[in-house]
Amino acid sequence: MRNSRVKIIVSIAAMLLLAKESIGAEVLKLRHFQSVYADDKDAGFTAPEGVGCDEKGHILVADSGNGRLVQFTLINGKAMPDKEIRVPELSFPVRVQTNSKGEIFALDGRQKRVVRFSPAGEYLGRVDAADSPPPSTVIPRSFDIGKDDSIYLLDVFGGRVLVLTPGGKFASKIDFPDGYEVISDLAVDGKGTIFLIDSVKALVYVAAKGSGKFSPLTESMRDRMKFPATITTDGHGNIYLADKNGGDIYIVGPDGSFKGEQLTMGWKEGQLRYPCQLCINDKGEVFVADKENNRIQIFSTVR
Amino acid sequence: MRYRVFSGIFFLLVLLSAAAAYPADVHRLKPGAKGKICANCHVDFQEKLKRPFLHTPVKQGDCSGCHNPHTSSHGKLLEADPSRICLRCHEGIAPEKAKSTHKVVVDGKCTSCHDPHSADNKWNLLKEGNDLCFGCHKDLGQAVKKARFRHSPVEKGCLNCHDPHASGKFAHLLKTDVPALCTNCHKADKPAFTRQHSGYPVANARCTSCHNPHGSEKAAIMYANVHRPVLSKMCNQCHESPSSPTPFRVIKPGYELCRGCHSKMVNETFGKNQLHWALVGKNGCLACHTPHASSEAALLKGPMITVCGACHADTIKRQETSLAKHEPVTKGECNVCHSPHASDASLLMMNPSVIDLCGSCHNWGKHSSHPVGEKIRDMRNRNLSVNCLSCHRSHGTPYKKMVPFTTSTDLCVQCHKQ
Repeated sequence: MRNSRVKIIVSIAAMLLLAKESIGAEVLKLRHFQSVYADDKDAGFTAPEGVGCDEKGHILVADSGNGRLVQFTLINGKAMPDKEIRVPELSFPVRVQTNSKGEIFALDGRQKRVVRFSPAGEYLGRVDAADSPPPSTVIPRSFDIGKDDSIYLLDVFGGRVLVLTPGGKFASKIDFPDGYEVISDLAVDGKGTIFLIDSVKALVYVAAKGSGKFSPLTESMRDRMKFPATITTDGHGNIYLADKNGGDIYIVGPDGSFKGEQLTMGWKEGQLRYPCQLCINDKGEVFVADKENNRIQIFSTVR
Repeated sequence: MRYRVFSGIFFLLVLLSAAAAYPADVHRLKPGAKGKICANCHVDFQEKLKRPFLHTPVKQGDCSGCHNPHTSSHGKLLEADPSRICLRCHEGIAPEKAKSTHKVVVDGKCTSCHDPHSADNKWNLLKEGNDLCFGCHKDLGQAVKKARFRHSPVEKGCLNCHDPHASGKFAHLLKTDVPALCTNCHKADKPAFTRQHSGYPVANARCTSCHNPHGSEKAAIMYANVHRPVLSKMCNQCHESPSSPTPFRVIKPGYELCRGCHSKMVNETFGKNQLHWALVGKNGCLACHTPHASSEAALLKGPMITVCGACHADTIKRQETSLAKHEPVTKGECNVCHSPHASDASLLMMNPSVIDLCGSCHNWGKHSSHPVGEKIRDMRNRNLSVNCLSCHRSHGTPYKKMVPFTTSTDLCVQCHKQ
């Protein structure tokens, strides 16, 4: 009698554990809801490599091939053209971000430097990483802005991430991890944790705030992905990777667990060709610079 | 006393395990049935027995050591899979975690080099000396024979430097690593040696970064293409002085070192929108080029497809599995379409117009009547015009004509829905 009770309790506990596991293995799906092709004058984008977003509903497009930034505002779920930023100091924007004050930062792919604009789009100058330790040459391939407005530069020449004050002065650095191959992008989450994507190894590295060192978060995902080249995080700690050559998006959990593959390569809306920068806003809307399709695509996250 | 008991048990266990590994006679054959009886039918086998070198089971008349006299799931009535059967006796032929392995050994194709029964050559080799190796390594064989400046160990035999099965610690199946392998013969403490190397302590460097160990058309068996500062022995153009505590350290990091001489190329590169990021990474130009000498043009580290494929393995793999082959990729001529340093065009294309780029090899008038060009909009995407990449993927697909859809219909209905 006592034995059978124990068996029942054990079975129920096992079922509860299984249920918990299945809830933990949350499936995230991307559902296309809008594509943005042009500005208010219907001038179409050309090979846009960057897209940024903020909590105020702004979308910033790095329209690389046309040498400009274009800002939109999401109103009732529709991207409405706002303004264009076109200055000689930014001839080929490839990444764009905003800080908490609404200032706009963009990486110029040709001049290999980050420049800053006021929220109104006035050019404020370049982020020169002053007082950085040697090597004196800094070549940023990407950058991100932390919640405290710190600027994180991915310096591929120095093989390091430079952490700069909101004013652009050197604060600290973290060297790339041992044995890295090609680090293409970085992302910083709300806690100040830095993530790197190694495109050749298809591996995510992580450095918690203050740890000063990168370590692998995932195993190599080479068997799943082709060439993941951009990375971002959502408010739940999930990591999104855009597979440039594969034309899809991969989602990895905060613990490095694989959470799924979304979208496919193609020309139609909801499909991607050589996706570049990703951005996720506080509503979980995912913005993708769909470079070779000359457009920005917006997806909602479905759990 | 206890020690004796334990050692006795241990001895018995060893005997038992040995008996299990080598069953004396699994088929319970009559005397002579292991091999002598086989010869009654396989009369032509007698010829093989006359050869000077016999495989041990053959010598012992033990045909059933490898063959099952009744039935088998494998060809030639072999007792095990042909790729595994040799390992039943020759298990340790390659170290478990070998640094380098000969592919035929890994694939279990022992008969590529050895005759399993008998041969005229030692170790039952099919051919004598280098002729055996050059049977597969034909290009190397040709190069060795043609070389104006020869390396005598190569002529004496590949096995002077290489282990034919695997190397536990070294790359390229080497018996000893470079430079120790080289300094066995080339004494680095001789004044002439030091003079030849401008006083740099190269006894601790990789000799094969300049010298081709298999022979060359160039004196001192240098590789065919030599970096000019090396040729003129101006090592200090890039390295610290030979008297420095760190003589091999380069005087500037990454691409900045190369910029000193190749400023025009570097400036042009930095003037483009799209940069090949490898160029400004940790290895700078050395991501793709070798600094001293190379058998490849432009001092590439290896054949272009290998160099590009080191990072872009997925792209190379796509071509390998593609039904249709794109000739430049097959030939490893990535630079026919892509600019290796930088470009203003997307995907580092040589020409911003896909149609013009493809048109430099393909004659459109004969190829297709489908309208293409800036004025023809892609019906799937208002921001795209129709070009070659609207229907084809240049590195291949699993389908015909490098089309990314299973059938032509699937492709056409992408736009032509009616």
